[in-house]
Amino acid sequence: MKIRKILIANRGEIAVRIMKTAKKMKILTVAVRTAAEPDAMYLSFADEIYDNTDDNSEIPVFLDIEKIIAIALKTGADALHPGYGFLAENAYFAQKCLDNKIIFIGPSPDAIYKMGNKTIARKLAIQNGIPLAMGSEGNIGDEEEALTVAEKIGYPVIIKAASGGGGRGMRIVRDPSEMIKMFPIARREAEKAFKDPSVFIEKYIENPKHIEFQILGDKKGNIIHLGERECSIQRKHQKLLEEAPSCALDNALRKKMGNMAVRIARAVKYYSAGTVEFLLDSDKNFYFMEMNTRIQVEHPVTELVTGIDLIEKQIRIAGGESLNLKQEDIRIKGWAIECRINAEDVQSGFAPSPGRIEKMSMPDYPCVRVDTGVREGSVIVANYDSMIAKLIISGKDRKEAITRCKMALDKVWIKGAKTTLPFFRLLVRNQNFQNGNFTTAFIEKDLDQYYYNSEYEEMLAAWLATKLFIEENLQSNSINVDFSDGKEMSPWLLNKRINQF
Amino acid sequence: MDLSGKSYKAYLERREALKKQYSPKQAEKQHKKGKLTAHERINRLFDPGTFEEIDTFVTPADQPVEFGKVERTFGDGVIVGHGKVNGRLVFAYAQDFTIMGGSLGVVHSRKIAKIQEMALKMGSPIIGIMDSGGARIQDGVASLSGYASIFHNIIQSSGIIPQISVIMGPAAGGAVYSPALTDFVFMVNHTSYMFVTGPNVVREVLNEDVTFEDLGGAEIHAIKSGVAHMIYDDEENTILALKKFLSYLPSNNVENPPFVPEDGTVQDVCEKLRDIVPDDPNKAYDVKDVIQLVVDRNSFFETAELFAPNLVTGLARLKGRTIGIVANQPKVLAGVLDIDSSTKGARFIRFCDAFNIPILTFEDVPGFLPGAEQEHRGIIRHGAKLLFAYSEATVPKITIILRKAYGGAFIVMNSKNLGGDFSFAWPTAEIAVMGPEGAVAILYRKELAESKNPAELKKELVKKYRDKIANPFIADELGYIDEVIDPAVTRKKILSALNALSNKWVKVPNRKHGNMPL
Amino acid sequence: MNDKLHISRLFALSSDNRKYSFSVPLKNKIRIGKRDYTVQLKSDDKYGTYILWKNRRYPLEVVRSRQNKYEILFNDISYIFTVETPFSLQRMKVINTRKGKPGLASVKAPMPGKLLDVLVREGAPILRGEPLVILEAMKMQNEIQSPVNGTILKIHARPNTNVMKDDVLVEIKAD
Repeated sequence: MKIRKILIANRGEIAVRIMKTAKKMKILTVAVRTAAEPDAMYLSFADEIYDNTDDNSEIPVFLDIEKIIAIALKTGADALHPGYGFLAENAYFAQKCLDNKIIFIGPSPDAIYKMGNKTIARKLAIQNGIPLAMGSEGNIGDEEEALTVAEKIGYPVIIKAASGGGGRGMRIVRDPSEMIKMFPIARREAEKAFKDPSVFIEKYIENPKHIEFQILGDKKGNIIHLGERECSIQRKHQKLLEEAPSCALDNALRKKMGNMAVRIARAVKYYSAGTVEFLLDSDKNFYFMEMNTRIQVEHPVTELVTGIDLIEKQIRIAGGESLNLKQEDIRIKGWAIECRINAEDVQSGFAPSPGRIEKMSMPDYPCVRVDTGVREGSVIVANYDSMIAKLIISGKDRKEAITRCKMALDKVWIKGAKTTLPFFRLLVRNQNFQNGNFTTAFIEKDLDQYYYNSEYEEMLAAWLATKLFIEENLQSNSINVDFSDGKEMSPWLLNKRINQF
Repeated sequence: MDLSGKSYKAYLERREALKKQYSPKQAEKQHKKGKLTAHERINRLFDPGTFEEIDTFVTPADQPVEFGKVERTFGDGVIVGHGKVNGRLVFAYAQDFTIMGGSLGVVHSRKIAKIQEMALKMGSPIIGIMDSGGARIQDGVASLSGYASIFHNIIQSSGIIPQISVIMGPAAGGAVYSPALTDFVFMVNHTSYMFVTGPNVVREVLNEDVTFEDLGGAEIHAIKSGVAHMIYDDEENTILALKKFLSYLPSNNVENPPFVPEDGTVQDVCEKLRDIVPDDPNKAYDVKDVIQLVVDRNSFFETAELFAPNLVTGLARLKGRTIGIVANQPKVLAGVLDIDSSTKGARFIRFCDAFNIPILTFEDVPGFLPGAEQEHRGIIRHGAKLLFAYSEATVPKITIILRKAYGGAFIVMNSKNLGGDFSFAWPTAEIAVMGPEGAVAILYRKELAESKNPAELKKELVKKYRDKIANPFIADELGYIDEVIDPAVTRKKILSALNALSNKWVKVPNRKHGNMPL
Repeated sequence: MNDKLHISRLFALSSDNRKYSFSVPLKNKIRIGKRDYTVQLKSDDKYGTYILWKNRRYPLEVVRSRQNKYEILFNDISYIFTVETPFSLQRMKVINTRKGKPGLASVKAPMPGKLLDVLVREGAPILRGEPLVILEAMKMQNEIQSPVNGTILKIHARPNTNVMKDDVLVEIKAD
């Protein structure tokens, strides 16, 4: 069944990204205009816009299942792309789409459900012989059980929410007394964040690398992987920089981990694009962490080293086409690095720094790809994420990619919000980063400051402050006062004024 | 010219003696305290070479009774004179702490009184730079009467010429009333103090230990007491700011304020203004962002910034012409009116009115601050001051309602029937007798009590109230405001309103003076 | 024009006490080693306001200025300077020695309410007037601002908690 018209149930750069590929494939797109950002850039890429600005609901429309389905039906979209975030990993929503004869561009509701529930996913991994960090077999009911299990696994352990993801509801516990304290907190947090208090316990791997494999599968059971992505540069489980491939893997390990990734995907009859995340410890042992059943923010690095348009594949697979690719067709060529340029203040612990983007220009080189949903005049609103753009750089090898990245970072021009650029400027200059010597604890442990400025930048800023001071105080208008002007006034006013006194 | 003749000898000797009196060594004493000398202060204030000192050589009065030592010095510890500040005639006096602690003797006080009277006769601003230990004990009651005549002169000149006090050292006892009576008080952090009774007396009488800084430092007066309007970290910045401040003021109450050509470009239509008031009516924003976008670039000079920051006051320019700005600050205490902000606003409005400065009001006020503390301290009395000041002022008065304009506060903040000339509202305005929550709670008390889901019902009613009642369109249709405007054209609207009002004249009923609820 | 103030030199003092000295009138050349480099403040439609230095553009923005204090966003990094004259610099030394140890300022809740957000972190430098926390009271979000320049010593405020009037929210070590 050929897809004719896709409703983009998302916003920002991913909406733009999907619509670009759809346009290439001559498929119509529908975007949703929201009251929060009625002039957003993604709207200008759509063939059709559904106006939802009258909706005063506090829940963003992209999270409102009924509403999104209704929009799809109203606009006659035969397919729906959820992007990432929002409803992308909501099994109920995916089922709802199918029930309404709307093609959900993503995996089956069953796969979403199974991989979304960490306890089920762990069971599946165990059944399929995928290495896992030691952990509880199912959910943990109370402190007592938690203590017993933790004792068996050995501290440190990590408490995770069964329905969780993205770092929320996770607690690292280093001894029994901490466990007594943390366990109820973790349950409460899980309850609050995911409406499900179930938690489980896993061995906590100290300072691992975060390696993930891109999976592609079709509805006929063909599943392959497109190699790995290195996502260890993260802060509080938020990824900041990703690369493909990873310098921590050799071909043998890549093959081994890739096979495991495909195997777990096969266990849920996975189709569409997905990502299997592993932790890799310093002895190159790897452990299955979770599978993300959606397109990822960092998918472009894989696209650049494989030459495959993942969104296109998602759409084709959703339309029932075969993958037409075998594992041996996949060749990793060159190196790609993605920097997430967010509106965040690196000087105050990456706090969001929303604002209106007043000026913006991006480097225009063949080796630089920019994915963005923001342009001059856009407002980075607090309602949504703080992403301004993804800067994706490719090179023939890691060294060249880093060198080019350094140059590209200096060419990015954004005014109106503080961004994570100074962090990346620091990172590309860091010896350990350059040598590939880093883990997920890199930012917290290796960096004592989160930004780079050249030795002259502070001096130039000081020069500017001095210049402003001189202009304001020594040459300001207060010196150019026309006092005689105040003495001239209309006879009407002058007469009355004088007579009154 | 040959000055070697005999008759010039005495002249030259006196000059030499004066030079010695103000030796670098003397200056060093001040510098060591982080303070400039009186001469250095005067030199920084006036245009180079324009200051003419008078009564340079007067000497202290003879003591009626011998008690303590009086140095026989020239000038008696104060410099008085006139000169040009940015080209305009200004009178000034500066007390000299290096001479008998700047204490106010009889001659000292006469010099000040003399320059005050001159300033009034010429219709020119007067600046007093204070750095004095207080009344000179040796001069006894005569120095007290000296204070009295200085105070009297200030009051006589009040509202006729701008009078500004700059505190650059101690000001204690009766001396504090001299600055308190003037229009604005500038203080310098860490090196200036004002108090009626010093820490030593406080310790003796009340057994309370308090430092100079905590009792009467610049910050205390700027933040808590409201005595100081502008404070700076050092004396040079204080004088720079004073000069800037003077450029907003006319020389006297007959003239209009001076004109200063606009620097840079402020667009008359500014779309950024549309984004400032948040959609969520409970969210705060900085009203100074609005002010900055409406007035000439960098022209906003805030007065009493640290005191009662829930009401912003200050001078600014619009197309080069001075205006006074009064604005509720939603960012602080939601912009509520309380005792301090009422008195701050009232005094500022009266200053503007006295000196022909039009008043521009930005309104976003949820009401008066409720509670026993405010009621018992007399919010009624103090709120009435603001009401009185607005209504009494005859200068052009323009109001922009940005958002909330509820109840009594709406009336007080320059409503049209109180004498406001033009009243514009942004589409975000909410004009009503009270806020939605309050109104709903009163009008639907019964329904809410009986409802199964009162929170939901309340939310619904609040929304209805906002849509139907708390908006600017009803007031617009009834003529209680002039127009609902696009925020982007605010500056344009104000400019044309000011233009229309430039010859405004209101005949004030003949009377000695109104009886403001002080 | 500048001789009016007898100022021939100004100093920009950074928040961590680095001192940059400039002659007045201010030159648009800065000497590095033996060479002078031109620094230009420019503005155009494409880039907005920027500084051109050694053939490279640096974005800048004056975040706020108060009296002689300037917060400048330069190439995405915030800097805070006070601009001092030779005399005010000397005065600063006098006052700092007299003041002895820096004072503590504790910021208290001005009214009872609910804390929505804490905007600062411990150890961060802060300017007077910068927002510390957002307190919701009287159905309004209020910014509680720093009363002093200094460094955040301790944060007692936790988001989404209720506070009483005069509860200490933040302790600041005053400069």
